Amino acid sequence: MAADLRYEISQNAYIKLVLHALNHKTAAVNGVLLGRPSPLNHSILEITDSVPLFHSNLALLPPLEIALIMIEEHYVAEGKGIVGYFHANERFDDAELGIVAKNIGDHICRYSPEAAILLLDNKKLEALPKVKDQSPVMQLYTRDGSKNWKLVGGGNRLMVKEPAANVVLLDYISSEKWHDVVDFDDHLDDIKKDWLNPELFK
Amino acid sequence: MVSNTEEIQLNRLENQVDNGGGGAWDYLCLVRKLKVRRSEKVLKHGLSILNDPKKRSSLGPDEWTLYEQVAIAAMDCQCLDVAKDCIKVLQKRFPESKRVGRLEALLLEAKGFWEEAEKVYSSLLEDNPLDQVIHKRRVAMAKAQGNISGAIEWLNKYLEIFMADHDAWRELAETYVSLQMYKQAAFCYEELILSQPTVPLYHLAYADVLYTLGGLENLQTAKKYYASTIDLTGGKNTRALLGICLCSSAIAQLSKGRNKEDKENPELQSLAATALEKEYKQRAPTKLGLLISTLKSLKV
Repeated sequence: MAADLRYEISQNAYIKLVLHALNHKTAAVNGVLLGRPSPLNHSILEITDSVPLFHSNLALLPPLEIALIMIEEHYVAEGKGIVGYFHANERFDDAELGIVAKNIGDHICRYSPEAAILLLDNKKLEALPKVKDQSPVMQLYTRDGSKNWKLVGGGNRLMVKEPAANVVLLDYISSEKWHDVVDFDDHLDDIKKDWLNPELFK
Repeated sequence: MVSNTEEIQLNRLENQVDNGGGGAWDYLCLVRKLKVRRSEKVLKHGLSILNDPKKRSSLGPDEWTLYEQVAIAAMDCQCLDVAKDCIKVLQKRFPESKRVGRLEALLLEAKGFWEEAEKVYSSLLEDNPLDQVIHKRRVAMAKAQGNISGAIEWLNKYLEIFMADHDAWRELAETYVSLQMYKQAAFCYEELILSQPTVPLYHLAYADVLYTLGGLENLQTAKKYYASTIDLTGGKNTRALLGICLCSSAIAQLSKGRNKEDKENPELQSLAATALEKEYKQRAPTKLGLLISTLKSLKV
């Protein structure tokens, strides 16, 4: 049941999303989470990868529809599906899950009824260099019985698989690695750019 | 709005300066001319000129423009001390200047002192009620405080006076889209297409909004505007080509069971599909398979 489900995100999926947000500091950005229920423990949903989507006009349907078709098609061959949605708000002090994010989240629940929304926690990200924290700089939202998105508190239902992920993230931030992240918007503007980001973590 | 060639030129210059190849002043001038937001680079390279007395004096009267440019970039990067220093230099050189007054208000904004900034802007507007920059700052301040409907109100007021400001119409359209107010966004793009009918970006954005609105009529119109985008871009716009396929698919779904008069001409869709396949084969061959199966799933 979704109420007890824990979400475990891989380091690469996690870092890719944060770097994408940092690459477009003055805009709202979003992304899609890929994964599957853990084969060893069905109360854990593994988020094994992510695809950064857009950094402008997030609320327009055509690019989103194309992206979801292509992304699902690619990952289904690996036995993975679309399991969630990531969103980062435009403004630093906006910590609310907005209507656009909720609507896209609802759409994604059609792919996976236990889909989660991860919202970038700007204040936590800012504090990261000073506060040695292993927990992800994101807030977890799930849908309750009435299909409303609710913030999941407590801090133990979302975790990064690799405990040193934030250390690696800080390293990438100081080397400004966010420049290398390609999103679906970039691909649509120049199809040579690969939204799979195959070389990002090599 | 920056064209592809302009962006390539800018990035080339930026790379050159970043790697120690000189040309910082040319880069800064180009950034100013194109009105792009590259504050971290402007701050870095601008300061390298300003902090070097020889380089600074070789600028002549342009020195003051650079101080202004660096001040704004510094505020964007939250380096408020640098901004304050630049503004001080300008205040000394141009006491009582309205232009410097605007910078002082901008600094108040950067510090989050919204009411004080508004006071300065209001008093500046008394002497110059048609200062476009100040009117736009009001929109920006509303947005920065999360008051999106206030920003929309200010933008609409601005456009009543400055109705030829295309960037403002675009800003308004995008703000409406972010609130999912698609009808209002469509109106903005209609204004833009009317005044600048050969700019493909507006046709494309209008088509995207219409598709999002949905309904048979909007889809049919969207298809027309994706087609005009393709026409205006010589067939090179991937988004428009995909848009044609999406529209054809959606229209066919809505037309199921209707009479044959509404049947779409399939030629446009297959032409778009062929063009896309050619593009992907040439430039993104690893994604060709995905494209083909996407197109297959769109053919109803």
